Amino acid sequence: MARIHLLPDDLISQIAAGEVVERPASVVKELLENALDAGAGQIRVDLTGGGKRSIRVADDGLGMDRDDALLAFDRHATSKIGTFEELERVATLGFRGEALASIAAVARVELLTADEPGEGHRVRVEGGRIRRAEPAARDRGTTVEVASLFFNVPARRKFLKTARTELRRSVEVVQGYALARPDIAFTLSHEGRALLEAPAAGEGGAGMAERVRQIFGASLVDRLESFGVEDGVGRRVAGLVGDPSTARPRRLFVFVNGRLLRDRAILATYYRAVRDEWRNEEFPSLFLFLDLPPEEIDVNVHPQKAEVRFRSPAILNEVSEALRAGLARSLGEVAAPLSEPWRRPSAPAAWEAGDGGWRRPPEGGSFGGTSVAEGLPGGRLAEIHLHPGRPATVPLSGRDGQVRPFRILGQYKGTLVLLEGPDGLYLIDQHVAHERILYERFRRDLERERPASQRLLEPQLLELARDEALRLGELAGALEERGFSLTRLSGDSLGLTAVPAALGTDRARDLLLELARDDDEAAGSGVEGLDRRLLEALSASLACRSAVKMHDVLSIGEMEHLVSELFRAEQPYACPHGRPVVLTMEDAELERRFGRR
Amino acid sequence: MEIRLDRAAFMAELTPMQGIVERKSTIPVLSHILLRCVGDRLQLSATDLDVSLTSSVTGEVTREGGIAVQARKFSEIIRALVGDEVLLALEDEKTLRIAAGRSRFKIRGLLPEDFPSLPQVKGDEPLEIPFEGLQRMISKVIFAVSTEESRFQLSGALLHIKEGKIEMVATDGRRLALVENPVDGLPDASEGVLVPRKALQELQRFEGDGAIQFRRGEHHLSFRLGQRELIGRILDGTFPDYDRVIARDNDKRVSLDRKLLIDAIQRVALLTGDRARAIRLRFAPDEVVLSAANPDLGEAVEKLACEYDGPEIEIGMNPDYLVQFLVAAETAKVRLELKDENTQCVGFPIDGADERYLCVVMPMRI
Repeated sequence: MARIHLLPDDLISQIAAGEVVERPASVVKELLENALDAGAGQIRVDLTGGGKRSIRVADDGLGMDRDDALLAFDRHATSKIGTFEELERVATLGFRGEALASIAAVARVELLTADEPGEGHRVRVEGGRIRRAEPAARDRGTTVEVASLFFNVPARRKFLKTARTELRRSVEVVQGYALARPDIAFTLSHEGRALLEAPAAGEGGAGMAERVRQIFGASLVDRLESFGVEDGVGRRVAGLVGDPSTARPRRLFVFVNGRLLRDRAILATYYRAVRDEWRNEEFPSLFLFLDLPPEEIDVNVHPQKAEVRFRSPAILNEVSEALRAGLARSLGEVAAPLSEPWRRPSAPAAWEAGDGGWRRPPEGGSFGGTSVAEGLPGGRLAEIHLHPGRPATVPLSGRDGQVRPFRILGQYKGTLVLLEGPDGLYLIDQHVAHERILYERFRRDLERERPASQRLLEPQLLELARDEALRLGELAGALEERGFSLTRLSGDSLGLTAVPAALGTDRARDLLLELARDDDEAAGSGVEGLDRRLLEALSASLACRSAVKMHDVLSIGEMEHLVSELFRAEQPYACPHGRPVVLTMEDAELERRFGRR
Repeated sequence: MEIRLDRAAFMAELTPMQGIVERKSTIPVLSHILLRCVGDRLQLSATDLDVSLTSSVTGEVTREGGIAVQARKFSEIIRALVGDEVLLALEDEKTLRIAAGRSRFKIRGLLPEDFPSLPQVKGDEPLEIPFEGLQRMISKVIFAVSTEESRFQLSGALLHIKEGKIEMVATDGRRLALVENPVDGLPDASEGVLVPRKALQELQRFEGDGAIQFRRGEHHLSFRLGQRELIGRILDGTFPDYDRVIARDNDKRVSLDRKLLIDAIQRVALLTGDRARAIRLRFAPDEVVLSAANPDLGEAVEKLACEYDGPEIEIGMNPDYLVQFLVAAETAKVRLELKDENTQCVGFPIDGADERYLCVVMPMRI
């Protein structure tokens, strides 16, 4: 008898739905994104039973005609992209064309939409099948009502939390989008009770502050300080940051092009900035808005779009500087003026190593669209030669296609390595640089060999909630590879029976608890994502210990080695904790400052 | 206060105080020692709030009173002075005058009232424990005390007084050391008590012979030897059920020369990396092969004779854990009891003194 058979279509849809739809809050999120993409000016969200019973999102956006309304429930139906090239420059929030279809596969959905006032259509879908489609009256816009989520997937329904918890998550989602778009009016109610009423608050910094006031009240706004800049051509690195009294869990909001993210790189940058500026482990409220040209970011790295990839990691430095200025100001200090003229290095990313030197790639000029991974292919840069002590062989501002050796100028106060580059002066933080190099080496080692695992005398109890235990259970194989062993003790409690020998027992246990308790959104990246984070935690804690310290005097040979290793690194610009490794002062800037331009 | 003292006798009591005093305390008074003249003695006290030490030295007291002085500086001064005698006198309530030979010092201090009051351990008749035996026991388990600060219930050793014997156990969750010594005349105490590491360390520094008077209060323990009294806060928390944890059915028994094994392990361990220290031991009849390999460094192998006639077995272990046990074991030969690569190794001294000693080392997967 055949053991292998094809899965029925609706089961495939249900499985696929799981990627997008996890709980009521994810439905709210998808529907809000659709509403925003439809150009809504007002969005109304009504929930019952914490969203488990029903979710209704109504907007006054573009609406759909009959054909579109029916097509909307097809998988990968989307009005937003048509070709792969367009995928590269997604400016809208939703784009995968799977939201409505995914939701409809696991719920009873009613769509009421009109692209002209009065000429509307009503479509009912249940468990992925269209049950009814009929004309109906509505003003321009769209209403989607999602009832009985997971009515046909009991296994998933079981994992929903109490109505109150699910409601809280939905509220967080709506808050997030309301913060992202102060120019749009949002209302949110639960079983008839208004939870959020935020009339359109306008754009720019004032709108942003007003929206924060609408959601969190005037007392918070008074304790926030704005920071950052807009360059007027759609680029913005700006936001609001609080004083120390505003530290709260879940009060960190990062928006990239209007999308609320939990981007680890940005959060790490923020934590680092707070630690450095305030010597503090309590993190004040943050509302950070990054608006970048769509081609500078890649949102296709995370099914729930909770993380993005920046084509140029220099953006993190820009964020870090803006944050530091804001943090300093919210403590009542004035930002140090020195930080202003320093540009982040971006050029080397776009260079290729030629025979014994550096060349600009043929396309030359702009480096904005080139990712570091493309610019620094592993190994190819091994050819780089440094020329300590020799006079520079090229003018400070060279021309394209010319060989441009780097030259080590020396060490500054036992902390920085100064480098003459083809286009400017480079400053490398020796400790952070070494940390980055070691980190990458450790990561490679860990991928190559199983780390030694120390068995424990007695299992360490990990008390976990059901979903946490499941999440760790899924990872058992990956954890085993990394030196952890788990055993089931009883119910949902797991016992830790072995830990990576390089980690303390408590550190190892905390790490597992962190993994288990990671936010749903972050966990969305699955086994691989967790495994990657585990690797990073292991490597980072190990790398920090053996890196050369500040105030270690280095010989030219040591510096040369350090710099060439660094340029061979996959990500030479930020340490594992997100701190910058290299700063550049470009020739043009130097010349300007000396009044030559 | 005013007192004339024998400098050498004073120094002998002053030195142990330095171990208690916190070098970098955020509470300034904790870097001080309290001096107080009472009757014909000068009393000295130091505390870090968890462990306290008091002592006294006789002298010619002309005026009673006290002052708290910065411990390190004061001790340096007394040590540097010339002459057999030293005079301590209060200049005013916060200044102490020190005079010896032709030297005169005036040092600032704090009011005695600012010094924390030390816990008093009262209670029943003290138990008498031979001091030398106690020190020996401490030295056999203290290396297994956990250094992870958050694991407070493991940051001390369990002292369990039983009828006619004392048991002491320490573990950090990766190895465990247990020692039991017969002591005549001890009554049975129903449960053990957790002695913090610092108290154990200070007890090891005590000098003298005879018996320690041991008292157990509600929250503190007192160890008194001569004029010195060490008071330690009892660690809260549940110590693991160590009796249950120790394997009893390890059927593979290997006897080895202790010193040769220590040397071999230390040589092989030279090639363990900085990330995790681990060596392999492969036991075959009459021979054990120790090895270590590290992708960055290279490999090391060493063979050693042993008495063993079971099947071949290989096990990974942290070399430091093994060596610490072997050093403490003291006997010419030791026995390792094993079961398989995933089960603990239990080490015993062979033909040791009249005591029970064992050390469990959990294996590593390399």
